[in-house]
Amino acid sequence: MPGPEYFSDREIGFLRALVTEEVDFMIVGLAGAALQGAPVVTQGIDLWFRDLTDPGIKRALRKVAGAWVPSIGLNPPMFAGEGVTLFDIVISMHGLGAFEEEIGHALTIRLEGVPVRVLSLERIITSKRATNREKDQLVLPVLEDVQRIIASDSGSGIDGGDDQARSSDSGGR
Amino acid sequence: MRLDLSKIKEECRRRGVTLSELLERAGVSRNAFYSLARRDFLMPRSLRSVAAELHLTPSAILVDEEALLAGMRELQQRVDGIIARNPDCDRDNARHTLLLLREEPVERLRRALRRARA
Repeated sequence: MPGPEYFSDREIGFLRALVTEEVDFMIVGLAGAALQGAPVVTQGIDLWFRDLTDPGIKRALRKVAGAWVPSIGLNPPMFAGEGVTLFDIVISMHGLGAFEEEIGHALTIRLEGVPVRVLSLERIITSKRATNREKDQLVLPVLEDVQRIIASDSGSGIDGGDDQARSSDSGGR
Repeated sequence: MRLDLSKIKEECRRRGVTLSELLERAGVSRNAFYSLARRDFLMPRSLRSVAAELHLTPSAILVDEEALLAGMRELQQRVDGIIARNPDCDRDNARHTLLLLREEPVERLRRALRRARA
């Protein structure tokens, strides 16, 4: 019996809706690293938005029957709904500049035809170093290896990317 | 898919051997060889039927082991090159990264999510 499919049409649909609504966002963290070829695991997909009050976010959520859960106490805002449970909202990125600055380090990767901005591996590594939690320390050697592997192997490219691989990071996972 | 007898004979001529010598070296009897050469289809009927149902050629549903081995040898050579240039790099990381880079980005992400839940 086949297992559940992770990151299916529902999740793609949400990303497509965000792009259609012209919401400025990028995928950061280990999901971003995985998209660039890193052999890592991640529980979810961290999204970093330029402006969390952008009304396009809620319009995109409505298109996939999702909902916005405001920040309560120490809990960051969240998405609710079947198609959006894999996504987490990143409020700040340790060790990095402002969104406007870091988007310049992002590459565009097509996911089932949807062009999505993804923070470069180099900046993801920078953020992981700054965050420096135990789980970051565990994954950093792998990410650093991947950066060297891609740089030193002429046949390695980020297929599906509109841009060539550059690097970056997120502090999330 | 059938045997190309003229191509085999031409290849024998190019290599300076007779067909009889080739068959002897290959351990194939003349009877068996000409029996194969007379057949219109070398692929089993069951294989052709399954492929036809899928609107594919029979070769499309066969595993080409030689190509797989050649692909893995090429991968090993690339890993060797990376490790030679980066001795501190982990060999498994290099191999897994190169394998992942052969896949579409969305598949890489699905793997990462699946493994976290395994």
